[in-house]
Amino acid sequence: MHFLKSIINQNAYSLNAINKNKFFKKNINILTSFHYNKSNLYKNYLNGINYNIKNNNNLEEIPFLPVRLFKEFDFLSIKKKDVFKTLFSSGTTSKNLSKIYLDKKNALNQMRVFQKIFNKVIGKNRLPMLVIDKKNNKLNRNNFNASAAAISGFSIFASEVVYLLDQNDNINYKLLNNFLKKNYKKKFLIFGFTSNIYLNLIKKINTKKVIINSLSNAYLIHGGGWKKIEEKKLNRDQFSSILNKKLGIKNIINYYGLVEQIGSIFFECKCGYFIASNFSDIIIRDENFNICKAGQRGFVQLFSLLPTSYPGHSILTEDIGEIINDQNCNCYGTGTRFLIHGRLKNAELRGCSNI
Amino acid sequence: MKDYKEINYLVGKKAKLDAFISPFNNKIVTFLDDLSKSINSFNKKKLPDLKALSFFCRKNNILILKNKHFDPNAIRFGLGLLFHITPSNIPTNFAYSLIFGLIAGNSNIVKVPSKKFDEIEIICKSLNNVLKKRKYKQIKNMITIIRYTDNDQVTKKLSSLCDGRLIWGGDNTINNIKKFDTKAKNIDIPFSDRYSISLINSEKFLRLSEYKVLNLIRSFYNDTYAVDQNACSSPHLILWKGKLNLKAKKKFWLYLNNLVKKKYNPPLISSVDNYSRLVKDMIKNQNIYSYKRFNKSLYVVTLKKLYPNFFLKKTKWGFFYECNIQNLKNINYVTNRSLQTFTYFGFSKKFIKYFFKVNNFNGIDRVVPFGQALNISLIWDGYDLTRMLSREIEIR
Repeated sequence: MHFLKSIINQNAYSLNAINKNKFFKKNINILTSFHYNKSNLYKNYLNGINYNIKNNNNLEEIPFLPVRLFKEFDFLSIKKKDVFKTLFSSGTTSKNLSKIYLDKKNALNQMRVFQKIFNKVIGKNRLPMLVIDKKNNKLNRNNFNASAAAISGFSIFASEVVYLLDQNDNINYKLLNNFLKKNYKKKFLIFGFTSNIYLNLIKKINTKKVIINSLSNAYLIHGGGWKKIEEKKLNRDQFSSILNKKLGIKNIINYYGLVEQIGSIFFECKCGYFIASNFSDIIIRDENFNICKAGQRGFVQLFSLLPTSYPGHSILTEDIGEIINDQNCNCYGTGTRFLIHGRLKNAELRGCSNI
Repeated sequence: MKDYKEINYLVGKKAKLDAFISPFNNKIVTFLDDLSKSINSFNKKKLPDLKALSFFCRKNNILILKNKHFDPNAIRFGLGLLFHITPSNIPTNFAYSLIFGLIAGNSNIVKVPSKKFDEIEIICKSLNNVLKKRKYKQIKNMITIIRYTDNDQVTKKLSSLCDGRLIWGGDNTINNIKKFDTKAKNIDIPFSDRYSISLINSEKFLRLSEYKVLNLIRSFYNDTYAVDQNACSSPHLILWKGKLNLKAKKKFWLYLNNLVKKKYNPPLISSVDNYSRLVKDMIKNQNIYSYKRFNKSLYVVTLKKLYPNFFLKKTKWGFFYECNIQNLKNINYVTNRSLQTFTYFGFSKKFIKYFFKVNNFNGIDRVVPFGQALNISLIWDGYDLTRMLSREIEIR
């Protein structure tokens, strides 16, 4: 699996459309056959659907693994003893956690690619970062849940990290103002989960207690969706305009990604689209799993070239998205542009189970 | 009953402890008939499950049931007060549970699901409407419908008062409720999570006229897709018996697929549910001979064979397992206490009756022809409800 070497040091959006497709197709096929040979569970799946391993199958033909199966199976394409780090999704019960097993090489590639993408979008300098969360004191270097992984992932690029919330989830205004006093004159970062940004920076914060005009140089990065407060969901414009009016924050950047494909993250560009880098791509499928055209909503299937320690290079998510064909958008390279319209709703069943 | 802030009273407030009467009491029969009419008149949207309910409690049907289940020589009375804990996902189930309690002659406190289904609203409106009549003053003391989000204090209190509990739910719910103490003589009737199977005679099927094939497929559709295949009584495994299984299967699924494509409109998530189940089966790689994905709502996984202690999975949204069965006695491989309904096609009732009489299958409480899987009756889950919910006075 040496193909990453050739592009990992380049700008993360360097490939033009033709080269990207060629490069991507070739390596996704390599990954499919690699995982087929290394993971028995994945092999059973591919044999079960009579998949024909080739080196030039189109992206549409690559089998996809439904994301929820990471909660039921331990997918490994490496030996158990080579597991260096385990990521967990942030479910509520231990039974419902996705488990992603990484070896050293996979973990390193994720970090390097994440950094490349981050550098392109935010810049290369390390900046002070305010985290809209509380500090996790029990962090275990080898077992991360998804939120801890995201916070620690973003923290790597920070010159200093300050947590807004104390252990009781209250806003620590003293700490906040000290941070702002020190940093407000230059570009700095605010990072948090979308739902936390909403709860704390939109609902809870008392602006009278915050130094005035101190947030105009902030770059606010948020992601993870609305989750438990779905009914309060604001659209992108509402979200930005409230944060702008209330706190004077001008730069707001949403990100999207799966813990199952950490590293190959998507940032929203100025036009409001997520854009695939050299390391990722996306397909939208309808309810019969046929390919949707640009502008049609459907299930999001995500590809990533990073997963080598587990077969997570082609995943069917439970998110609804839409590919956008906008010739006027020139932000970061020519990768596929798309929107995410939220998570599939859990259905209300008729019948007598599931009490 | 003490007032609890947490309780929302939808119908009545004072189901009495001692309001029991005899089973199939005439007043109950007329009351149910009035209820049937009332539900019909409020059912503006013509919801099918309300139509079925209204049909069930009309006088003619109750009298048929009376004829079948009532012993005029016995002196029987309801147990007293029943506490019904009804399932959160079938909107009309609580009404059937209540009707069983009333027919057996009991006073009833019924806990309905917290989800606000239209059906529940209409049924309660109908009940309130009919109970306004003076002639039903006595029955008013026998019906209380409540809603509360899980509150152990309330459940505990009600459990301590009642003479019988009808507990509909998964195994966990049932065991949880059982933890609350009751009177020593209280009777619990658990309706736990079950699954169901079908048996088809392939030669008989292939001999059907086009018209009858379509009818049979429609019956099967009603047993399954009408409730997203998620009812305990909807078949999950189809057994094929005969020399022409291959040909029969092909025809059966093809016809079903045509109907499903035309009629069935499940939520988006069903696509992912079904595909995920298939992949899960592939990964586990157990006993699968082949599979076919007809469309997002019809998956058929053909199993290699049945074997002792075969573990049957409950499926939904039109996901079926199928298997050939040459020796019908091998049905005992799939029977266990969780197996509820057995629907059949192509065998005579006489044969079926004999077959179940001579084979002591562990499980299977209902054996009905295609199309009747969901028809609820006074014998349910193997319980003779009018008898279990009443007591007989022995007189010599």
